[in-house]
Amino acid sequence: MSAFIDNFPVLAVMTLFVGGFLNSLVGRRHAILQKIVVLVTVTGALAMVLALVKPVLMDGEIITYWLGNWEPVEGWAIGIALEVDALSLFFGLIVVVAVFVSGVYSFTYMSRDDSLVNYYTLFLMLGGSVLGLVLSGDLFNIFVMVEIMTFTAVALTAFRSHDEGALEGAMKYLVVGSLGSTFLLVGIAILYSQLHTLNLAQIAALLPEQSNNPLMGVAFAFLFIGFASKAFLFPFQPLAADAHAVAPASISLMISGVLTKCGVYGIIRMCYVLYQNMDLAVVQYLVTGFGAATMFICVTMAFQQHNFKRLLAFHSISQVGYVITAVGLGTALGVSAGLYHAMNHTIFKGLLFLTAGAVQHQTGSLDLDGLGGLSKRMPRTTVLFLIGAASISGLPPFNGFASKWMIYQATFRQGVDTGNFFFIIVCVLALLTSVLTLASFIKVTQSVFFGQLPEKYKDVKEVPLLMRLPMWILAVLCVVTGLFPTQVQNWVLLPATNAVFSAASYIDAAMGEGYAALHNVVSSGVTSLGVSTCWSPLSWLALLFCVTCAVTIVALLGSPDSKEESHVSAADETAEELDPKYEPFFSGEESVYSQVGGSDLFWGFKHSWRKHFTFWTNWHSGVVNDYTLYGVVVTAFVLLACIFVL
Amino acid sequence: MKRTYRRKNVIVRCGADLFLPLGCVFGCYVIFHGNTSPGGGFQGGVLVASAILMVFLGHGGTGVRSTFRARLLHSSETIAEIMYVLIALLGVFTGLNFCVNFVFAGHEWETSVLMNDVVGYHVMAGIICLLIVMLNTLDEDDLRKDENRQLRSESEEEVEEE
Repeated sequence: MSAFIDNFPVLAVMTLFVGGFLNSLVGRRHAILQKIVVLVTVTGALAMVLALVKPVLMDGEIITYWLGNWEPVEGWAIGIALEVDALSLFFGLIVVVAVFVSGVYSFTYMSRDDSLVNYYTLFLMLGGSVLGLVLSGDLFNIFVMVEIMTFTAVALTAFRSHDEGALEGAMKYLVVGSLGSTFLLVGIAILYSQLHTLNLAQIAALLPEQSNNPLMGVAFAFLFIGFASKAFLFPFQPLAADAHAVAPASISLMISGVLTKCGVYGIIRMCYVLYQNMDLAVVQYLVTGFGAATMFICVTMAFQQHNFKRLLAFHSISQVGYVITAVGLGTALGVSAGLYHAMNHTIFKGLLFLTAGAVQHQTGSLDLDGLGGLSKRMPRTTVLFLIGAASISGLPPFNGFASKWMIYQATFRQGVDTGNFFFIIVCVLALLTSVLTLASFIKVTQSVFFGQLPEKYKDVKEVPLLMRLPMWILAVLCVVTGLFPTQVQNWVLLPATNAVFSAASYIDAAMGEGYAALHNVVSSGVTSLGVSTCWSPLSWLALLFCVTCAVTIVALLGSPDSKEESHVSAADETAEELDPKYEPFFSGEESVYSQVGGSDLFWGFKHSWRKHFTFWTNWHSGVVNDYTLYGVVVTAFVLLACIFVL
Repeated sequence: MKRTYRRKNVIVRCGADLFLPLGCVFGCYVIFHGNTSPGGGFQGGVLVASAILMVFLGHGGTGVRSTFRARLLHSSETIAEIMYVLIALLGVFTGLNFCVNFVFAGHEWETSVLMNDVVGYHVMAGIICLLIVMLNTLDEDDLRKDENRQLRSESEEEVEEE
């Protein structure tokens, strides 16, 4: 019998579930006991998954665990398996860290809400289901976990049901999320009917032999759309926006940082390990195309939002678009860039959602047009927000820069290697998206943290330490993973990318040595990522600094007009009464509250792109029937593509 | 305000009283033989939970309210969930895998029997909780209708007396 550490995957999943059940048993009466249960469970799950790092990530083992010792007999895997390779563990780590941070943050953040028993029970079940999904080695278990995940997430979205739009957002998520789950189930049913097994490793071994079977293409289309809906890719992104805007911030962290990763994990696992068809051009076009469309459309939508968390939600999906774009390239560099960005996305987007939650907790508002000047009242939160904003915009010393750099490099190199113009366009689109991200975060920073402090927020205080602590954990992670990209690559990304490209060892670990060779599945794995070396974050920071200084100097020296303007605007900030605009002679009476609205910063840009913006705003109609229709239409499109081309 | 309710028809009441224990016993039978015969914890649990419908048919919402305690059932649902995991964990602590049949492995009488029973218990408690919630919404309207009817008949009687 194997070592006790092999039990850790199932124990980690079960710890979260049992914690949820225990909480609903004892937490109703004792608030302290409730917090203890939550803390112990999330820490336990974190510790157990961290304990797996040594054997799986470092030594490269693949832990296969058969529930009830139902091991495969004569090449048929009937029992339920948990299979933990480096890819699963990579996502598992993301999940447990996010659950831990979100759980600790909830203690203070949710303290003003009632019926917290339901909140923590659902929260722990959500965490457990996601962890179960990424560690599972069985296709049907993945579906079960997706269902638990979707329904707990829907319930948690509607948790603050007194808020405007909470039930509406949850309802949309429920309807369209169920559509996605159903597609997933259809795909699994087709695979099961053709291959007579649900074990991932056995499917991976049997699938390549069935390449002439048209039903495999149909199953691929359904599975792809199912996982894409869980990652809120292109036609499904309005749901995420509606859900994030109303969900508690700790749940927004879970939805953006963890649930979308399940979709990403599903797509990687399906394309690289099960179907092993990422070398086909059409699959690359499909996955990269979806990613690029998501990335660009979401950032244009984010650009014009007026709700803090709704804006963050669109950005979140835009970043997932980056991940999918990179993953769809089919190269080792692309996959590692995607995984790196997936990890960074959880960290910085979690940080941003938590700061949004802090602002909401202290001011009770998320309206970008109403907030302002909070940096004077909440300086620590402002610093944390700036770290997150710099990370997501890809500024040098932070982690967003490192992963985005890898994504640009991967897309460009793919374009050069294949001579295909499509990937060059994707690379340009990725750059453009990054610029738009930076622009809209400047807008948020200006609207919320700088500018004038409205009268009603004069007494706002800094958030308590227990809420800042999780944010600091994420901020430190932002900096650490950004400053040491080479170490992250060697220790984390290389094993995970290697696992993505070694389907054969995944199969052999579950089905016994030689099973993959019997079915002609050969995979070589990856020994190096092939990143070009000129990307030291510190030197890029120095470059950024120099360029900023140069631009500032040029702008100041340039024309006398601009100098005049900058002088006046500086005077505005220091002494309001000097502004002649508000003197009685000119305009009658002084405006009570005036500042450059964050939304007005980029009015020229917005005006020249108004057709694009208007089209996409109208496209997000807010009607659940429309969203369902989009999902169905895209499914039909992918089905046609997969049947006729694959 | 004192709530009045009409007793149900005697045939319905007697029928419900007669079939209630039968349904419960049959449900328990299905749960306990889940490992050797068709059915199992889930199906048996639903059968036992149908008892609440019998009580409702025979004795109305008042009968349901005086018989079942939703809080206790909710707790027992949770306890059943925890027991399931604990029984599954026994496999781990005997040095085998999660969910393993460690009691008399290979015989008919295994941990799967215990798991079946726990699932039955869980489904029974859970479905009854759900039905109580559903019946509560139904019950109010029903009562109000009944009360109105009663009031109307009383006033009619009064009119006749005058």
